[in-house]
Amino acid sequence: MSTNPLIKIEDLHTFFYSKAKQAFIRAVDGISMEVPRGKTLGIVGESGSGKSITMMSVLGLISAGPGVIRGKVIYDNGRIKKNLLQGLDDFVDLQEHDGTIMQVDKDLYGWQQHSEQLMKNIRGNEISIIFQNPKAAFNPFTVIGEQIAEMVLLHTRINDPVAAKAKALYWLERVKMDAPEVRYYNYPGALSGGMAQRAMVAMALASEPALLIADEPTTGLDATIQAKVLQLLAEIKADLGITIMIISHDIGVISSLSDYVAVMYGGTVLEYGSAKDVLSTAYEKKHPYAKALLASIPGLENIEKNGARLKAIKGEVLDTIRVVEGCKFASRCDCMTDSVKHKCNTQQPPLEDIGGGHKIRCWLYQ
Amino acid sequence: MKVSAIKPITFVLVKEIGMTVLLLFGVSIIAFLIILASPGDPFAQLYGGLSGSEAERKALYESLGIPTTWYGQYFSWLGNVLQGDLGNSIRSGRPVLAEVVSAGINTLYLTLGALIVTLAVAAPIAIYTAIRDNTRLTISFNLFAYMISAIPVFWLGYLGIYLSTHLFGFFPLGLGSSDSGNIAKFLLPIFILGMGSGLISEVVRHMREQVSRVMNEEYIRTARAKGAAVWKHAFKEGFLIPVTEIMAIKMPFIIGGAIIIEQVFNWPGMGRMAWQAAQDRDFPVILGITLAAAILVRLSSLLHKIVFVSVNPRASHL
Amino acid sequence: MKIKYIQHTKDVSQYSELSLLKRSDKTDVVFVGYGLFILSMVLISYLLGVLGWLPFTADDMDMDLMMALPGTGSHILGTDFLGRDMLTRLILGIQAYFLPGLLAIVVALGLGTFMGVLSGYRGGYAETVITYINNVTDSLPRLVLILLVVAAFKPDIYIIMFVVGLTNAPAVASLVKDKITFLKQKNFLEASVALGLSTRTIIFKHILWYNCRTLLIIQATLGMAEAILIETSLSYLGFGVQEPTPSWGNMIQAGANYMMRGDFWPSTAPALAILLTVLGFHLLGDGLNNILEGKRRK
Repeated sequence: MSTNPLIKIEDLHTFFYSKAKQAFIRAVDGISMEVPRGKTLGIVGESGSGKSITMMSVLGLISAGPGVIRGKVIYDNGRIKKNLLQGLDDFVDLQEHDGTIMQVDKDLYGWQQHSEQLMKNIRGNEISIIFQNPKAAFNPFTVIGEQIAEMVLLHTRINDPVAAKAKALYWLERVKMDAPEVRYYNYPGALSGGMAQRAMVAMALASEPALLIADEPTTGLDATIQAKVLQLLAEIKADLGITIMIISHDIGVISSLSDYVAVMYGGTVLEYGSAKDVLSTAYEKKHPYAKALLASIPGLENIEKNGARLKAIKGEVLDTIRVVEGCKFASRCDCMTDSVKHKCNTQQPPLEDIGGGHKIRCWLYQ
Repeated sequence: MKVSAIKPITFVLVKEIGMTVLLLFGVSIIAFLIILASPGDPFAQLYGGLSGSEAERKALYESLGIPTTWYGQYFSWLGNVLQGDLGNSIRSGRPVLAEVVSAGINTLYLTLGALIVTLAVAAPIAIYTAIRDNTRLTISFNLFAYMISAIPVFWLGYLGIYLSTHLFGFFPLGLGSSDSGNIAKFLLPIFILGMGSGLISEVVRHMREQVSRVMNEEYIRTARAKGAAVWKHAFKEGFLIPVTEIMAIKMPFIIGGAIIIEQVFNWPGMGRMAWQAAQDRDFPVILGITLAAAILVRLSSLLHKIVFVSVNPRASHL
Repeated sequence: MKIKYIQHTKDVSQYSELSLLKRSDKTDVVFVGYGLFILSMVLISYLLGVLGWLPFTADDMDMDLMMALPGTGSHILGTDFLGRDMLTRLILGIQAYFLPGLLAIVVALGLGTFMGVLSGYRGGYAETVITYINNVTDSLPRLVLILLVVAAFKPDIYIIMFVVGLTNAPAVASLVKDKITFLKQKNFLEASVALGLSTRTIIFKHILWYNCRTLLIIQATLGMAEAILIETSLSYLGFGVQEPTPSWGNMIQAGANYMMRGDFWPSTAPALAILLTVLGFHLLGDGLNNILEGKRRK
């Protein structure tokens, strides 16, 4: 087995045209991270930080007209090695002025065709995804069993409908769905949120993918059901040795599953490292944003520390239309010292390794 | 399992059929009252053109037991209608029911054929412009749809007749005359009505909205993420339902267009009959046609409901 | 096939202060511009007809110049099959549908608004009844109903347009009702009541004026387009304005016989007039809808 990471994202940018704002949004602005084979990468950040867009870009699911994706996403499972964004730039011509994108010329159809071509045999087959809001993610006009069987027929050697149904039932059982024979014939509307999410996991696994992406898998579910879904994902990870990318705004969800964690803010990664390094509050060197994020979790530890009050992070998520001069978090940072203040406001800090693969994007530690 | 899945659907259908009957009832009242409001004694005409002075007719009504109030006359007429007796045509003297049914079948050919033409032109435009974003081609497609809808259909009909006589050498008038075997003769009116009924732009707009809405649904994103064929997942909500829906909504308009086209091409359908009846003030015939047209409209609406309920598992929970 | 997206302003924060014109889609602006041009042409032509300021008289025949093409002699738009000036007859043809069309619009909007407010604001019983009436009128093909009315009464364009207005009222009512339901969902009406506004102020000022006026204007333009098409259809069927008084419908109908001989102009000129005018009203309605109601998708 090679030691290459299964997926390696290099300098990924995703821009959108917002009709409401009549401007381009820099949703993802220069992200680099990797997901080692068989491990779990957690991406955490507030809503609007670009974490879901990162996932969508990796899968080529960005369809909005004038969206632009640039950079490299290298997928390498030992047999296939390819850049999932290879050549997409040829279809787009982009003009920037003063950190703002002023004009995009895009051959939309060519871009889409090319993107579909790149994703052939990857989407569904190599990479599966679990969406937020599972009830809406299933086709409401077809029973869930058939949707799982479709995945089996599309991406495995099984091409007999009867065998596919048996396989679908196997996966439903595998995700601990009660009465899979009955649930097979249920329409998505008849399932509860928790059951729908189990069925979603079954569908994602049915193609036996190398990478499973979970986009906010527990958001919108009851707390007890959340715990069950997380437990299910942990079991799958242990049993199948599958590589997982989990995306959540909830640091608790991230910490329960991840081996590595990336903290995202304003379309960039502010801190990346092993879960132990990033999520431990005891650790000396931390990005101020990650520190604040950890302090905002309701938990026994924090309550003891701060009295009964949780610490909210001041300010709002920043506007992402223009390239920000300086650190993206500068306007909300309360760890800024006088010695770095000038740098924080004028220059973006690099994502620097402070030892042992723990990377932080902050002038305090340069 | 299966029995419980069928039950709500039948319930919805029974409700829809009940609604259809109720609406036809309303149509019959309105149509009857309009006729009854006309000057003279229209009710006498419905009873085969009774004549004489008002006093004579009143005496006759009383002796025959015919009601003289409007609602009495309505229910007496409705009773006859429900027994299949729509009276006799004042012009031809033949029973209205038979005449309307035979003309109605001709009109049905024309309208259904035209609907197919409309859909065949509009659906590709709608889907194409929904999937590709705002391109120059989209705009010209849109303009085409707008233009074709604004051309008066009878002028288009004359243009069609001119072109077919001069370019292809046949005269597409008079369905049912000696050389009616010529298929082009049937196709031209159908084609003209399909293109010119003014529906294309509305069908394009409705379908484009539906298709682009469905394409942005989360389950379509799931289908793409699965690597599955998107059209397979989008077919029911993005095509089947909007098509039957637009058929149901636009049936009255296409029947209106058929009236004009039947006039242009001498097509022996309900439209020509209604035109003749309006000129002759042939009340039994015009009432019969009004009811027949309303039945056509309600049936197409019922068809849409049936498709919607049988395709959509959510609808049966309603 | 390339698409181009341009950021219009350098400073995005100013976007909401941009004029409506700049914020709107360019095609919509062109649509509305064309529609307004047609609307003003119709108004001007109507006034010219009323005042009698015409290049020729309507039945002034020029036997030497029959079916002349545009630009022949002093006939800017040519002549018809009797040598009558086309431009004059087209201008006068507007008389046939202008006032009847307005009648249909006034009836549809007036009655529709009343029914809509009643069912939306009061709800319950009134709403059920109005939905039922709406469905009944939808079941009757417009032209069949008109023929029924023609049979019952004499073919009078004002009676017919009154009926057209009546049949359009339920559709307007349901749009107004939807708007009010929407406002109710936003707790807008509760807020107005809590502010102590009188029912009359709420209905006329806040519901109708602030929230329904664009909707009503759009319905009016679409109503005018429909009136033109109905009037031309009726004239064609012989129930409208009778020759020699010109209407676009009877001009096409009368010219159609000559069309078979290859003389296109007498029936094509009024057909073009209908096309351009109906197109104008449709584009005006749709463009306004997109700009003011923001119906355009993301």
